[in-house]
Parts: sequence; structure tokens; C-alpha cells
Amino acid sequence: MTIDVIARPARARPVTLRRISNRSGLNTAAGHLLMVLLSIFCLFPVYWMLVSSFRPANTLFETSLWPTQPSLDNYTRAVDAIPIARMLINTLVFSAVSTVFQLLTGILAAFAFARWKFPFDKLVYTGVALTWLVPFQVVMIPNYLLIAQMGLLDSVLALILPNIAAALAIMLLAQAMRGFPKEVIEAARMDGASNWRVLWEVLVPNLRGTIASLAILIFISTWNEYFWPLLLSRTAENSVIQIGIQMFMTAEGNQWGPLMAASTLASLPVLVIYVVLQRQVVQSFMKSGIR
Amino acid sequence: MLRTSILACLLALSTAVPALAQTMAPSIEQPVTITFYNYNLAAAGLGAEATQKLINEFMAANPNVTVTGVPYGSADGSRIQADLAAGLPVDVVQTVFSDLDFSVTNFGAQALEDIVPAGEIATHLQGMHPNGTKLGVLNGKTYGLAYTFSTPVLFYNADLFRAAGLDPDNPPKTWADVKSAALAVEEKTDAEGFTAGITGPSAVDWLFQGVVRSNNGEVISRDRKTLKFAEPEAIEAVAMLRDLYDAGVYENYDFAGAVDGMASGNLAMYLQTSALQGSLVAGANGNYELRSSTMPRFADKPTRPNNSGSALTIHTTDPLKQRAAWELMKFLTSEHGYTIITSEIGYLPLRPAIVTDPKYLAGWIADHPLVAPNLEQLDRLEPWDPMPGANYRQIVKTMMDAVEMSIFGGADVATTLADAQANAQALMP
Amino acid sequence: MAIAAHAPTRLRRISNARWAPWLYLAPALITLVVWIYWPLVDAVRLSFFQWNMLPNSPQVFVGWENYQRIFALPKFWQALRNTGVYVLGLLPLAVLIPLAIAIYTHDLPERSRNIYRAIIFVPMIIAPVVAAAVWRWLLDPAYGLANQAIKGVGLDPVKFLSDPNVAIWTVIAITGWKLMGFSTLILSAANANINPTLIEAARMDGAGKWEIIRDVRLPLLSSTVLFLVVMTILLGAQWSFTYINVLTGGGPLGATTNIYYLLWDFGFSTMSVGWGSASAVILFLGFGVLAFVLFRLIDRYSFHDN
Repeated sequence: MTIDVIARPARARPVTLRRISNRSGLNTAAGHLLMVLLSIFCLFPVYWMLVSSFRPANTLFETSLWPTQPSLDNYTRAVDAIPIARMLINTLVFSAVSTVFQLLTGILAAFAFARWKFPFDKLVYTGVALTWLVPFQVVMIPNYLLIAQMGLLDSVLALILPNIAAALAIMLLAQAMRGFPKEVIEAARMDGASNWRVLWEVLVPNLRGTIASLAILIFISTWNEYFWPLLLSRTAENSVIQIGIQMFMTAEGNQWGPLMAASTLASLPVLVIYVVLQRQVVQSFMKSGIR
Repeated sequence: MLRTSILACLLALSTAVPALAQTMAPSIEQPVTITFYNYNLAAAGLGAEATQKLINEFMAANPNVTVTGVPYGSADGSRIQADLAAGLPVDVVQTVFSDLDFSVTNFGAQALEDIVPAGEIATHLQGMHPNGTKLGVLNGKTYGLAYTFSTPVLFYNADLFRAAGLDPDNPPKTWADVKSAALAVEEKTDAEGFTAGITGPSAVDWLFQGVVRSNNGEVISRDRKTLKFAEPEAIEAVAMLRDLYDAGVYENYDFAGAVDGMASGNLAMYLQTSALQGSLVAGANGNYELRSSTMPRFADKPTRPNNSGSALTIHTTDPLKQRAAWELMKFLTSEHGYTIITSEIGYLPLRPAIVTDPKYLAGWIADHPLVAPNLEQLDRLEPWDPMPGANYRQIVKTMMDAVEMSIFGGADVATTLADAQANAQALMP
Repeated sequence: MAIAAHAPTRLRRISNARWAPWLYLAPALITLVVWIYWPLVDAVRLSFFQWNMLPNSPQVFVGWENYQRIFALPKFWQALRNTGVYVLGLLPLAVLIPLAIAIYTHDLPERSRNIYRAIIFVPMIIAPVVAAAVWRWLLDPAYGLANQAIKGVGLDPVKFLSDPNVAIWTVIAITGWKLMGFSTLILSAANANINPTLIEAARMDGAGKWEIIRDVRLPLLSSTVLFLVVMTILLGAQWSFTYINVLTGGGPLGATTNIYYLLWDFGFSTMSVGWGSASAVILFLGFGVLAFVLFRLIDRYSFHDN
């Protein structure tokens, strides 16, 4: 007994270690199981969209996991019916430019909120936040009239203009900048760097992770925007892909096949951009981890 | 002499000026561009292609006229509203019948009698079904010519009828028949018995008006001043539908569920606009036999079907553009126009003669028997009355919410409808 | 001399410090004022009129009538209650689960972490209307895969979208499905931004995995979590809009109608500027008050990683 007790400390260590790793192994397995279930929940509808886009009209409602008579019929019909390539390019320009501008205006505004205390700063910040609560439908027609006065109807520029600043970007960036260590900023200021240089040479590079995540979010939400382009677009050639997708949905029933084909084509570019940017996000996380 | 001739000239001028302002140009001698706001162009597929084809044919025949098709969503007229507010030209519009009143009072739709020489109207309307031409009449004037419109049709799945021991050659004629047939389907098969496009977000109130009228009721008085959807005939009609639901045969589908249920062969009977035919045929092809019949009647009362769909309205006040718009309108509602509209978009011909004319639709009708009940109902067709005033959409919503609560929500039919009628009446102008 | 030379620079500094924040703010503020606040101010005025927005037609002053009519809508209180249900239902999907995922995946090997996060993000990239369409398909009582499975187990099919008791939860689940990736991304970014030395210090002090999460990570993530909670409360009704619009139209029997959809249905989609403007003002003020309270709470409880 006594020997055991005395001997235990020496041996206990590896035992507990193994036990922990065993238990955490079980934990990991349970965790992975949950994550796999969650992944199925997330992916299956997307898979269903993809599969359905290959089902011809009369087997559209079958429930097999794989199309029994796969065909490209829906794709040819979708491509014939709407100028998909043109629409994708328009959407890409619209989303990319909006993203860049929202990030730019967001970074500048967020810096003002994070760097200085100034009169009415809380009020202005609240004002920015409150723009979220303005239903888009109420500003839609006044904005349309403004665009008409500017002579910009039916152009991609008109799509972009109201989208060059957004509350989400400003607020998320302000939050990230407020969380940034003040000493680093002060140190840079001591070295004689101007606010402008502090922003672009210290803050922005360090917030790359947040900025990249935000870029993804802005890009996707602009990509999926619908109401504003609907009011604005007068010709399919100057319109965006969401309008193209909706063109297959009518009061007289939806053309599911081409709808799924068009949606698949519309989702692919975003998926690619996400995968590319995701790598960028991860890398910047790792960099900030090393620092 | 000189004086009198000057006076005569002045007189002639003074009469000519208002005449010019009212009547369109006699002909088109110089290039003119008109806009055509069209909701078929907002959807991809046959409707848009056929519409563009008609526009192109018209422009080829009238080289001086350029027609710019502008797509807009039929569910909300905000594009038209926004463009008028922005001062953009809105010349010809494909107007949904329920929006006609609003379109006249707010969007400046012109009465044909005011802008087109009477002789020309009479000539053009020759050969049109009188029931069709009255659809676009409001307060005694023709504001719209029926363009793409259809009637309620009872689509049914002949295979499910056979499986339930019913005779597909003898479809239900009355609401009682519908109930017994639906009960048989529910009992003998896995499918649902019956549904109708009466309620639901995109239904507006067109089919409800037809059902109530077929029980000799009205949802709104003939002078369109008083709502009447809580009168006994309407209550009886809604109570009948409620009974179908309580009996478990009237399936309350979600939004697009009914179309897909029918298309996928999981629904035996579907009362809905014939405009759905295309989607249903696409699903039925190779899966089951799709047939159609006229809308069911109440016991021995003859049905009084009404139309869904749209009319063409002219909004421009420029004499030259009015002429171009009228020429476009005539072209789209000609024998040839209705042939394309019927065979390629899926609506009804307003000129009955072309149905049997081999030059136009005879061959197509023979190949498409589903459209027959539609043509039969043309003889009894009544207008889809638009609700009046600035709050017309809210009136329709209030009414249809109450109808839905009465049929599916277990609410007391009479009191629910009476409450809603009082609320909605307060919104009338 | 020395004083005189000093004064201008100090003055310049002060005016710099006074004007600098406004210069940085200018592009964003000008955009927001021109495209959002200007029309909003106009909407406040128009909410007291009956008008169809056409230049040639009169604006008829109607006082509070537009507001009275909206508050008198039979579905108003049902919609308000449903809005609460949406928020409560969305909170776990938009905050709790993403928080768990962000923390759990953080310690996974890089490869599986990236795969999981990418997968959870995929629903974000699907257009909302398409997401709605596919889900409706999967949930159809007759041919939907979900009900085939339910029937396979021997249970009665569930009418996910046409049963008034179930429909709202279906819409919530679909909204959450789309949202989860967004929250996960934001929380993962915040989690990765936590200074590793803090974690290391806690570990040195003998803290276990759960203690680190509870005592270090969660407090440091609290401001982001609060941010997401506020977003869900304020915007949950808007996020569900497309799904309500495409899937249920507010039905069955108003069971899925929330305040945003109701006001859209009776206000914005009806072409009468008065109703639409009054709806907007009600939404703005109602949620504005809520936002004010919530932001005050955040100010009090948020915790910065300094």
C-alpha cells in the first residue's frame, strides 16, 4: 500500500495524461459527429439544388438522391432565356465595387470613432447604427427619383451609389479598432507617424482578418441584393443575376428546373471567391497569432 | 370678308385646338418611340419571348414606331409609380384588372372613347366577344382592352380519379360532386382531394369574386360604392368552402405548394386560372393524365365565372404617341395577336371566330383540349371588379384575410366576414 | 518670440483634432444622409398625408389616420407577438450554436477547422429566394424528402409550412440555416483575435479547457456576442422577410406574419405613400427605442481586450 502510494506520483502522471487524452478522444469523436451532422444540415439543401438542376422537367419531383435521367436541359433553357454571362459580370462589378467602397468608407469612419472623442460622437455613432432600422422600401422610391434626376437610370453605377457606405462595416470595424491595443497606436504616434499613416500602416494591416471577413460578408450580401436592382433595371443586359433568377418565378408557377440551374451558376462565383478569401482570412489569423 | 374669314379661321382654330388635344394624330408620319410596360417581360420563358416577338412584328409593320418594352412586376406597380414620379414616359401598360381603377385615377389611363375616333373603335371591336370587351369598362368608358386573361378551370388528375374508382370522363359539375369525389380520392389513394387558388398571397380576389357570384352574390355593389361580401349569398359560399375543409378534402397548401402538388401528381383536383396550364402540363408529361373541366356550380345555379389577367391601357397624352399606342393595341388584340397570346403565352382568344379558323387557332386547339372549358366559359364571363380608391389593395387584403380565417381558421364565418366588411368599408373612398 | 511661434502650431493642432474626425467620417456620413436619412425625414412628413407620389396629384393631409389604420389592423398584435417568437427562436441559431462552433473549431487541427467553417458558411452564398425554394421542396408534405423519411419511420407527415403551429418554426429554422455562417465567421474572427498570451497565462495558472473558455474566452467574446444578440433582436424580423414572402406569404392564417412583413404587406406594397411612410416610422421608432436600450446595456457590460 504505502509503496504504492509513494510510487503513485511517479506513475500517475502518464496515466492521467492517457485518461485525459482518452476522454478528449471520445469528446473529439462526439464533437466530430455533431459537426458532421451540422455539415449535412448545411450542405444538403445546396446539394439538392445542384442535383435538381440536372433533372429534366418530368422527373423534377423524384426523390432519388441522384438524377435518374441527368440532362443539361435546364442549363440550356436557362442560358437561352436570360443573358446569364452578362448578368454575372454586372453582379460581379456591382458587388466588388460596393465592397471596396464600403470597406474604404467604413475604415475611415471607424477610425474616427475609435481614435477620437469628439462632440456628438455617441450621437453620430447611434445615427449610423440606426440606419439599419430604416426599412429599405421607404427609401427605395426617393432614391430612384434621385438617380433619375442624375440621369443614371439603368446603369450599374446607379446600383452602386447608395451602397458605398453601410452601418455594418462601420460598426464592426469601429469595434475591432477599439479593441486594438492603444499603446501600439500611441507608440507609432510617438515615432512621429500621422493619424493617416497610423491607420493605414498599423491598424489596417493588423485588422486584415476582420477586414477580409467583412469583405466576404459585404460581397455576399450585395451579390444577393434584390429589391434595389429590381426597381432599377430596365433591361436584362444591365441587370444582375438575382433578377435573372427571379425571372423564373412567376405567379403562374415556377420554372424549377431552369431556376435551379441559374441558381447553381449564380452561386459558383461566390463559392470560389469565398474559398480564395477564406485562405486569406486564415492566413491573417495565423499571422496575428504569431505576433 | 377678310374679317369674317379671320373669324372663321379663329373659330376653326379654337375648335381645332381642344379637338387636337383630345384626339390622337390621324397617322404616323414621323418616327416616334413609345414605352410598353409589360409584366410578361419580367419573367423568363415563353411569355417574354412571345411578347417580344409580337413587339418586333409590330415594329416591322410600322417602321416609324419604336416600342421599348419595360419589364415590371405585376405584384407591385412600384416601377410604374416611380417612373411617373420621375417624369419618365409611361405610354402603354399591361394592367392587371384589379389595378384598373387605381390606374385610371392615378396613372392617367385614358378612355378609348376620349382619344380614339369612334368609328375606329367600332371597327376594331368587331368580332370580339362582347363579354370580353366589357372587362375593361369602368364607369361606362373603355379604359382597357382585355389582353392576357383567363377563366377559372378545374384541373384534375385522371389517373387519381381512376384509382379512386371515379369516372374521369365525368368530372364533378357541382360543389357537392367535388366533395364526394375528393372524399373518394382521400379514402382510396395517398393523394389530396381538392384545393383552389381562392386564397393565398398571389390570388388577390379574382377567383373569390367568381365563386361568390356563382352563388348569385357580389363582393361589391354594381356601382362599386358598397362592399357586399358579408351578405347571405357570400356567407353561404364561404361556408360551403369551410365545409369542404372541415370534411378534410380541401387542402390548405402553402404558397406555391398547390401548383407543385398538382404538377407532381399528389393532388386530384385544382380550381385555378387556366394560365397555370403550362406549368401543370410540364409536370404531368409522362407521369399522369391531366384534364380540365369548367368551374363547379352551386346546386343548379349556373356558374358566373370571371377573368383573371390583364388589359392594355394607354397612358400617354401626346397625340402622336397615342396613335402609335392605339396601333400597338390594335395589333396585339388582332386575330393574329390573340393567336400568339393563346398558343404561346397560354391565355384566351377574345375573338371567338379564330378558334375554328384553320388560319389561326383551329389546329392548335385540336392539339390542346385542356383549353376547351375556358372557351366554354367565355360565354358566361363577367368582369373582375377592381376595388376603388387609394386603399384598394388594403381593402382586398382585409377581405381575403377574413375569407381565409373563415375557411381554414375555424372562425365564425358570418361574424368574421361582417367585421372585415365594416373595416374595409371604412377604407372605401 | 518663442510664444508667438508656438501659438499657431497649437492652434493648428486643436483645429486639426476638431476637424479630423469629421473629415474621416465625411464619405460615410454623406452617403448615409443622402440615401437614407433624407428620404426618412421626408417619410415622417408624408406619413400624415394621403398621396400616390405622383407630381401632378395633391397631397391630402389626413393627420394621424394612417397610423390609426395601421394600429387597427386585426393582425397587428399577432404580428408583434410573432416578432418576439422569431427573435427568441433565432437567438440560439444566430448566436449560441455559432459561438459553440467558433470555440470548438478553434482548437481543431487547421485542416478540419477550415473544412467545417467553410461548410457552415456555404448556406450564406445561396440566394435567399433559392434557399427558400429548395427548402420548400425538401419539406413538401407529399414528395419532400424530409417527410419521406418521417413516413419511413412510420409517423404522420408533418405539414411544415401549412400547419399554423409548425410554420413559424420552419421559417425560423430556414432563416437560422442561412445565418449561422455569418455569425460563425464573425465569432471565429473575434475568437482568433484574442491575444494568445492571455490563454497561455491562464493555462500556466492551471486552468483547464472549460475554465479557459468560461473565464477567458467568453468574457473576451462578450462584446461580439452582445453585438450579434442585438443584431438578431433588431433585424430578425427583416432577415426572415424573404422566406415569409416566398414560402408562406405570412400564412397560414397569419401564423408566420411578423411586424416587418405585415407593414410591408399593407404599407410598402400598396403604392400609397402615407401607409408606407407611417409603417416605416413605426418600425424605425419601435426598433429605435429597443436599440437605444440595448446599446445602453452593451455600453455597460461590454469588455475590451486591452
